[in-house]
Amino acid sequence: MELIILLLCGGLTIIASLLVIFTRNTVHSALWMVTSFFFMAVLYLLLRAEFIAILQIIVYAGAIMMFVIYAIMMLNLRQEEQGPVRKTKVVGVVLLLVLFLELMVVGVGRGLLAIKGPVTDQLMAKFGHVAVLSNFLFSDYVLPFELASILLTAGVVGAVVLAKQKSE
Amino acid sequence: MVAYHNLYLALAVVLFTIGAIGAITRRNAIVVFMCIEIMLGAVNLAFITFSRANQSVEGIFMVMFIMAVAAAEAAVGLAIFVLMYRKRGTINVESLNLMKW
Repeated sequence: MELIILLLCGGLTIIASLLVIFTRNTVHSALWMVTSFFFMAVLYLLLRAEFIAILQIIVYAGAIMMFVIYAIMMLNLRQEEQGPVRKTKVVGVVLLLVLFLELMVVGVGRGLLAIKGPVTDQLMAKFGHVAVLSNFLFSDYVLPFELASILLTAGVVGAVVLAKQKSE
Repeated sequence: MVAYHNLYLALAVVLFTIGAIGAITRRNAIVVFMCIEIMLGAVNLAFITFSRANQSVEGIFMVMFIMAVAAAEAAVGLAIFVLMYRKRGTINVESLNLMKW
């Protein structure tokens, strides 16, 4: 059962991602991106990471793609991208395909180490995924957590300062 | 129970390659940005898979912080695109060659 859903959603994620690249219309590209994020959230659910799946939908498919679609609407992108294909791009694509093969052979082909940590399925089932995560988040990871909030504040302030019209 | 961790990792590699190819071939800066998001998503999938395979929470926290950084990056990046469009009238990444040697 897991295999069927994995293959289905994995295939649809790949198809949606390919459409993001190959669609000429930028808005359609953004909508395919949302589709791809939703299927990826299903994959996270299959990996028993419920909280990350919800975050994926809220943060990526909700917030970030809303930013992108607003940006597309504010800019006039009617003119088609054109021009000859540069040689460096062909070289880049070939190098990326080599990287793909390397990752497949070295990264995926050799399999994973069988380390079994403390966070077992029984623990998750007893306390719930979010409770286990928040125990770690507010003890071991509290400093990165606070730093992330500073980063987000700085990012938002920076975005407003950059995009603000100069009033002369 | 059989675990399909290698399949998830293979999927992450495929998605990462798709995103990287898009990021170097497309010329529209917003599409390039979305391709970078695909690459981040692929890395997130790999982290969650490692976390699940090793029964640890480190991968999940990496993903949460990647998401926070991606959100900040989206805000600043899209503001830069808007500014770029206002100054140059285009967000074609190939026409932005001021710093090219």
